[in-house]
Amino acid sequence: MANHPQTHSESRLQPAFGRAMGMRMFRDTLAHYMVGLGGMGVIIAILLIFFYLVYIVMPLFAPAEANKVAQYNLPQPQSGKTLLLAIEEQNEIAVRFTDRGEAVFFSLQDGQVIGEPHRILPNRLRSRVKISGFTAGQSVSGLVGYGLSNGRAIIAKHNYDISYPGDKKLITPVISYPFGNKPVQVDARAHALVALAVQNDEERSSIAAITSDGRLVLTTMQKEENLLDEEESELTFSTYELIPVEGAIKLLLEPRQQFLYVVDKTGFINVIDIKEPETPRFIARIRVVNKDESISTIDFLSGGISLLIGTTEGKLSQWFPVQTGEKSDALVRIRNFSGESSFISAFSSEQRRKGFVSGDNQGNITLYHSTTGRKILTIPTSKQTLSKIAISPRADMIITEDVNHQLYVLHVNNEHPEVSWSVLWDKIWYEDYPEPTYTWQSSSASNDFEPKFSLTPLLFGTLKAAFYAMMIAIPLAIMGAIYSAYFMAPAMRRVVKPTIEIMEALPTVILGFLAGLWLAPMVEANLPGVFMMTVLLPAGVLVFAFAWQQLPISVRNFVPDGWTALLLLPVLIFLVWLAMALSQPVETLLFNGDMRAWMANHLGLSFDQRNSIVVGIAMGIAVIPTIFTITEDAIFSVPRHLTNGSLALGATLWQTLTRVVLLTASPGIFSAVMIGMGRAVGETMIVLMATGNTPVMDFSIFQGMRTLSANVAVEMPEAEVGSTHYRILFLAALVLFMFTFVLNAGAEIIRQRLRNKYSSL
Amino acid sequence: MNNSGETGQAQSMTHGIDLSKIERSGESHILSNETVAMSTDKLNLFYEEKQALINISMTIPKNRVSAFIGPSGCGKSTLLRCFNRMNDLIDTCRIEGKILINNEDIYSKHVNVAELRRRIGMVFQKPNPFPKSIYENVAYGLRLQGINKKRQLDEIVENSLHKAALWDEVKDRLLDSALGLSGGQQQRLVIARAIAIEPEVLLLDEPASALDPISTLKIEELIYELKDNYTIVIVTHNMQQAARVSDYTAFMYMGNLVEFGATEAIFTNPEKKQTEDYITGRYG
Repeated sequence: MANHPQTHSESRLQPAFGRAMGMRMFRDTLAHYMVGLGGMGVIIAILLIFFYLVYIVMPLFAPAEANKVAQYNLPQPQSGKTLLLAIEEQNEIAVRFTDRGEAVFFSLQDGQVIGEPHRILPNRLRSRVKISGFTAGQSVSGLVGYGLSNGRAIIAKHNYDISYPGDKKLITPVISYPFGNKPVQVDARAHALVALAVQNDEERSSIAAITSDGRLVLTTMQKEENLLDEEESELTFSTYELIPVEGAIKLLLEPRQQFLYVVDKTGFINVIDIKEPETPRFIARIRVVNKDESISTIDFLSGGISLLIGTTEGKLSQWFPVQTGEKSDALVRIRNFSGESSFISAFSSEQRRKGFVSGDNQGNITLYHSTTGRKILTIPTSKQTLSKIAISPRADMIITEDVNHQLYVLHVNNEHPEVSWSVLWDKIWYEDYPEPTYTWQSSSASNDFEPKFSLTPLLFGTLKAAFYAMMIAIPLAIMGAIYSAYFMAPAMRRVVKPTIEIMEALPTVILGFLAGLWLAPMVEANLPGVFMMTVLLPAGVLVFAFAWQQLPISVRNFVPDGWTALLLLPVLIFLVWLAMALSQPVETLLFNGDMRAWMANHLGLSFDQRNSIVVGIAMGIAVIPTIFTITEDAIFSVPRHLTNGSLALGATLWQTLTRVVLLTASPGIFSAVMIGMGRAVGETMIVLMATGNTPVMDFSIFQGMRTLSANVAVEMPEAEVGSTHYRILFLAALVLFMFTFVLNAGAEIIRQRLRNKYSSL
Repeated sequence: MNNSGETGQAQSMTHGIDLSKIERSGESHILSNETVAMSTDKLNLFYEEKQALINISMTIPKNRVSAFIGPSGCGKSTLLRCFNRMNDLIDTCRIEGKILINNEDIYSKHVNVAELRRRIGMVFQKPNPFPKSIYENVAYGLRLQGINKKRQLDEIVENSLHKAALWDEVKDRLLDSALGLSGGQQQRLVIARAIAIEPEVLLLDEPASALDPISTLKIEELIYELKDNYTIVIVTHNMQQAARVSDYTAFMYMGNLVEFGATEAIFTNPEKKQTEDYITGRYG
């Protein structure tokens, strides 16, 4: 335009045209880039969310790492051979308990001995008795026990006091004697104790032992508080003789002090019930290894429920008692670990997780996690057999001793051993469970609780909630949209459509609140009525419609065409009232006055107050506006010339609807359903408030569920930042994100295909 | 699109009509020398308060092509749509008077509108094939009538496509989407679809106005072929087209039927000055 020929008759306007053109071009370009920028911004925002989720989740699946940080000679070798190694909480001090009854504390970093070795066996006794047996309590308890040749035992405990003299942290090791300073008489006949086991808690403490003549003895201790002086408490000991077990070599006493596991030479574990020590009961004798191998190591996992058994052939297996209803098995092999084909020579459980670490006769350290059944990492450490190993309370340091009395210290980075694909999605057999299950239970009151992170019940709950919501929403929304777009009087449609669209803006917290606090109790109280409604409402509407058609046309003409739907309102109200009114009588008549009890007795269906019916209705109502609006638009925008074409060929309205209109609108209807589905899957407040949030895997309509979204909402505030729980919640969010993304992307692809197929010019 | 035929008809008859505004100046246009296919008697049509057709009385001759011409908005399409009651679909439309087909008033209460529309086929200005295959488009009207036997459908589909002069072009791709056809092919497909259900009358509402000249020619040849078996009423803007294809021509102006007679007479020697002015291009 700017270089238009000068010969133009109205050349006076040319400069103005030029200026306007420049401005228009500028605006056009600006708009072009602004729109582009906006679109890119949205995509970038979504990608950022995605990558942030991935960034938080990734460490869950990062492989463990370990590196050697120190190697030194055995500190204070003159104190004797090491029986037990341990590391304290702060990873500064390690301790070794020796076969001469001494505790040698040394710096973990360089092996410098700290202070004088602590003599657990006092000097005055050394001339008279010998140490004949040794045991370590669970590592978290810090207990060690020495069995003496005179049938007594000394139980000691290592503790660490932290003080801050001159604002510097000082860790002081302390040895205490929970059973008293004097050796405890365990065997009344004063035979040497060759093996022993110890447990100590507030109410009851026990020492079990094998004597040199092959008897099993048990001493329990009751602590009685002295009312006058809290420091001075009365200790009373009782000594019992248990059932003898032939060839017993090792004892394990579980923390509840109910069962004593006696390992014998032939590879059997004998289980003895010592809940009432006066009358011990022999429970079972279980073979835990193959005939050609023997037990090389055996110990509890943290929590003291699972036994880990390592064999001379290098096999590792996990065992725990299983109670199935009435039947109980004393020990069941739960899972095997793929070990090396090398002799497992040393072994230590993590204190706070179900992990453990082993050392073998080729100098390798191997990290395992029991619940996932995984071997996480093998670290070649020494050339020699590793005789002792210990892992720190925080499971980030390992100290090990080989047969050449070299100590190796390793730093371990193993943040999330409890997460694996199978834990997240497969059935896992957890301790205290009768069988493998899909379980989500992230926290509990107990300290040695193992979190259970199966996402399967959450995904299942999400799909279940969405399914029941769609069961309600799809028929109502699509049929409503068909009526509104195709049959309803325009004046009525002008009211109805915006009203339903406004419903979309209804805060879901209100729907959830109503569903949880009003609808759920009402459904529970009127269960037969709710069921009758599902039959009465459609049937009543059909009967009414038929009756209406039978009326003479003069009567029908009182209602303008397209407004007849209004007549249904009183009918629907009446039918709802009727169903509710009949609820009690029907319940009395058919179900002995309690339908829930009847269902439980006759159908075996349990009833949750906040169940899928409630969620289906509430979330259905939340989703209806979405599906309705898009479907309505799709049907209404079917080109008029297509419907006219069909009608002109002698089709009835119904034929036109089913054969042309719905077909042509199918891409829109499909995307309406998918978008509704996406909304139901991501919906949070309603499921949070109306489902009961129980992560069960039960498709029953009378049971609640927990969805991915509600789970994140419920648990995120209590998850420690950076913890496994925290990252798994992010993983749940990522799964939800991916799920809706795939759902929507798939829907969009199918919609495009349908649109290409059915697009009419 | 809110009413089934019967109630819609009832509605249009019950609405009060402001009689003072109705013009009743129309005269009868009866063709005495032809067999009557359809006739209108004092037909008045209103969109709300606006009168779109004024007192039209005419007969449509059987097995002839009648053309409606006139300037835009003169009511010729409205009149055409009265014959198969497509005007029922317009909410505000009311009708007074009678349209007789075989001496039966099609606006009477007892008429089944779907059946009426089967008998009075219609082809629209814009080709409107359904988003289905070519075969299913033609079979559509038959399936509506409950004819689902494959052999019977095959035969009728082939016949109809032959009659619509489309068979040779589509016989190898009957199962392809009809939307892949060209505009002219689509329009012939729509005609095939209409004649598959053996209507007595074909109403063509500017059937060639959206088409290129060659397609238009084919449609016109088709009309010529079809008139032996069908009564055809065509609305057209194109006076040459009216002259070429029709036996009789009606000139409408402002809702009035001004003149109706043999095409040759209308185009060479019109009785009314209005007609002559329009034909000679003085307005319209």
